Amino acid sequence: MRTFLLKAGATALTLGTTLASAVYVTAHLKNPSAPLQPAVLTSQQGVDGLTITPGVRQGDVQPVTSTYAS
Amino acid sequence: MRPERPVEAYHFEALGTSCSLFGLGVSQTELLKGEFWVRALGARVTRFSERSELSMLNRADGAWVDISAEMEALLREALLAYELSAGLVNVAVLPSLLAIGYTRPLAEGATTATMVTALPAPALPDVLSVRNKRARLERGCGVDLGGIAKGWMADRLAAQLGSDALANIGGDLRAVGEGPRGDGWPVGLGGATVMLRDQGAATSSVRRRKWGELHHLIDPRTGLPSRSGLEEVSVVAATGCEAEVVAKTALLLGPGLATAYCAAHSQAWWLST
Repeated sequence: MRTFLLKAGATALTLGTTLASAVYVTAHLKNPSAPLQPAVLTSQQGVDGLTITPGVRQGDVQPVTSTYAS
Repeated sequence: MRPERPVEAYHFEALGTSCSLFGLGVSQTELLKGEFWVRALGARVTRFSERSELSMLNRADGAWVDISAEMEALLREALLAYELSAGLVNVAVLPSLLAIGYTRPLAEGATTATMVTALPAPALPDVLSVRNKRARLERGCGVDLGGIAKGWMADRLAAQLGSDALANIGGDLRAVGEGPRGDGWPVGLGGATVMLRDQGAATSSVRRRKWGELHHLIDPRTGLPSRSGLEEVSVVAATGCEAEVVAKTALLLGPGLATAYCAAHSQAWWLST
């Protein structure tokens, strides 16, 4: 009797897990048209120019220094 | 945004270039100590002094030499840069630099280019071994730490200066903290101002340090000055050293691949052909 109960329990658990997985996957379909990450905030056409991702904020104040050096 | 706090600033010339230190809540004495640190370390890692630690390694003729903790860290950083750039940032280009006449500080002028030893650079991990406080360079090879050292120094110096500071060592810079107004440190990059918080930035350019048709940025694949089609690349990355590596790699890759490389490795980038 105990063996039967264990087998039945294991079978029920397996079927339940399979069913739950199927429901989850169906509800979370990959959207092939989703935008690429990270999103680009500003970008110039062509190669030349400045591109800024959300990790950097553009400012409107005078810079204290720059990456250009003599 | 909070009211602007006064920034302590200090400027000096070292390593053959301009350096600037900024800090909030730091004294001029601390900034002056920063200059001493740059000069002391610069004297050990320059290739232009025969007595420097780097020159001793370059002259060791294949033998193991004892090195300082800082030199060990720099050489390990150079090996990391080689990996990050898929071999394009290779400090073993010294023979090419000498061949094109970059034998002394450019303030003294370049010497005659012979081009005889301008050969593709060897794979850095094949010729450079680093152990605990010891290093070995294969016979006939030489390394130049110029680019790597500036970014590496900026990263360490900014951290040494406190929780709200910016160190700019020859254009390779690192900003820590929230900056004067609490919204980051304003830094000029590609004609715009970007606000950096715990980030680094650097520019790689063939428009500076050039003489005649030659310039200092060697493509290790050819052993000759880069002719990738890009003249200048500026990037923002996690650290100054990383920004230096990404900018140089993108410039060497050229316009066809630079955008994709920058998109994968940096947070902002400026390209100029």
